[in-house]
Amino acid sequence: MSGKPVAGAEIQRILAIVPWIVAHPGASKIEIATRFGISAEQLDDDLALVLMIGVPPYSPGDYLDVDDDGEFVTIRLADQFSRPLRLTPAEGLALLAAGRALLAVPGSDPEGPLATALAKLAEALDLPEFGVEVGEPANLSAIRDAAARGERVEIDYWSAGRDEMTTRRIDPALAFFAMGEWYVSAYCHRADGERMFRIDRIRALRATGEHFEQMAGDDEITEVFRPRADDARVTLELSPTAAWVAEAYPAESTTVRPDGTLEVVLAVSEPAWLERLLVRLGPEARVIGPEDARRAGGDAARRVLTRYNKAVDPGREGSDGQANRRRSLQGSVARPAP
Amino acid sequence: MADAPSRVERVLNLLALMLDTQIPRTREEFVREIAGYPAQPEANRRAFERDKEILRGMGVPITMETIGDSTEVGYRVRPDDYCLPDLGLSADETAALRVAVSAVSLGDSTGHGALMKLGGVGDQAAAPIASLPIAPSLATLFEAFRHRAVVRFSYRGEARTLEPWGLSSKRGHWYVVGFDRVREAVRAFRADRVEGDVEVGEADSFEVPPDFRADDHIEDRAWLLGDAPAVSVRIAVDAGHAQGALAALGSDARVESGAGADADTIVEVTVTNRPAFRSFVLGFLEHAEILDPPDVRAEMIDWLEAVAAGAP
Repeated sequence: MSGKPVAGAEIQRILAIVPWIVAHPGASKIEIATRFGISAEQLDDDLALVLMIGVPPYSPGDYLDVDDDGEFVTIRLADQFSRPLRLTPAEGLALLAAGRALLAVPGSDPEGPLATALAKLAEALDLPEFGVEVGEPANLSAIRDAAARGERVEIDYWSAGRDEMTTRRIDPALAFFAMGEWYVSAYCHRADGERMFRIDRIRALRATGEHFEQMAGDDEITEVFRPRADDARVTLELSPTAAWVAEAYPAESTTVRPDGTLEVVLAVSEPAWLERLLVRLGPEARVIGPEDARRAGGDAARRVLTRYNKAVDPGREGSDGQANRRRSLQGSVARPAP
Repeated sequence: MADAPSRVERVLNLLALMLDTQIPRTREEFVREIAGYPAQPEANRRAFERDKEILRGMGVPITMETIGDSTEVGYRVRPDDYCLPDLGLSADETAALRVAVSAVSLGDSTGHGALMKLGGVGDQAAAPIASLPIAPSLATLFEAFRHRAVVRFSYRGEARTLEPWGLSSKRGHWYVVGFDRVREAVRAFRADRVEGDVEVGEADSFEVPPDFRADDHIEDRAWLLGDAPAVSVRIAVDAGHAQGALAALGSDARVESGAGADADTIVEVTVTNRPAFRSFVLGFLEHAEILDPPDVRAEMIDWLEAVAAGAP
């Protein structure tokens, strides 16, 4: 009676397959295996097990009857298992959530079979409504169309990590929504490799009239950020109020010190990313190393300050007089003479 | 049938008998009737309990009732409670659900299990289109919302008592929205930040106002998540960054100028959380600037000077 530690998955599968075969006498075994995502051998094992299910007094007519000619199969005497097990709350939620999310994707048919399927589910199972919003950045539909048709496009793209605007020709492969943003994976001719672009950072998109050969994509949503081996590793000291940093970004290691401060190691592929983080965190973060990263926050802050000092430029004074109050309050800031 | 029955076989036979019986049966009856239970009473009691938990864990509604007038307890499964009602789905509708489950990743295989019950998962994997991971607490919160049951949970280290009035997903996060009985106000909570288990109270404990819309109460713009008095802040954003800034600021931001290709875009934004807004503006580095009011601008300059003067 040792049994496998987790028998649940196998039981659930059999409880799903049996009612379907009962409802489809003489079904093809190949179709059944395909439909339920199992191998022919697995199906044979499952059917052998079904033959062993019965109720007292366990005379021949009390067992489920499996009629299997090797190609087609019929199950009889399965009164108890003529219907599938009801959905669990989590399963009902999963169907609704996936369906609502797909319906929220721009371009979905709000009255198509998915919408009517969800309405039937909600009705039959008494499930309440809820909304899913996935947003729609300006160039989403253009990118998805280009990906679907295999059309090469030229984009003006703001790379946040390097804080620079570039123009690239890309072959868009797959647009997807992850971590609250829309991304497109594409072959980038400028980088000569696969790259991931955030669609809301595509500032302009132009058709090139060229087509590319579409590759069969891998069916996984690629990780949005994957540290490279040669990315710089920066060690930060974070105050407890900035502990979210360790969760929000892929920290390579996190150490909580006895005083509650954290020491985290982050992979930093682009300098502007680190600058942005440091200038936002301010006193909540301190760079421990490496040496050349220790100036990043201060340098960025000085650069941003230059912009504020520009406000004292007489050329802008007329339209933006109030902004100059700073000049009298703070004489220490280096600035061009008015 | 010389081999000892497998665990799977034993559990399936237990379920068959529980479904078949008209009256609740005792554990002793089940273990006596069904092949595969150990003879020793303590061992067969443990085996029976484990089997029962497996079935309950997958959602089989096993009821425990007293038998007749006795104090003996028995178990059974009422077929009406067990069976999935006929959903009346057409082939197109079932196929559409398969596409949805295949294209939208919720972080686990629950949707896959649901499809199996609806007649199989099929062999056509749809290209992935969205990833919206579901936190473990969400199914419990959904069930409480469905049955109008009050929930208790810990959130940011504080105990909350909530009437869940709605559920919603926005910007990749799942929220439960409802009436916070302690704060006596409508509040939204991110499901993935609910700490530990959710305690669910009695069903039908509240009414949801008919005009309630969960979406109206979810604010993901951090500069509006604060109790400070609202202040109108004007910012200038470089032309190249205006599009992204406006998308993030939302449709209620007031654009004053910025039609020109190279001119700054000037936007007026309502802010109730100044540190959060400072952080947003700094996300643009030198491509954005707070113009006024003067005190908000001064705060930004003080902040930047502190960072510039900080540890080298």
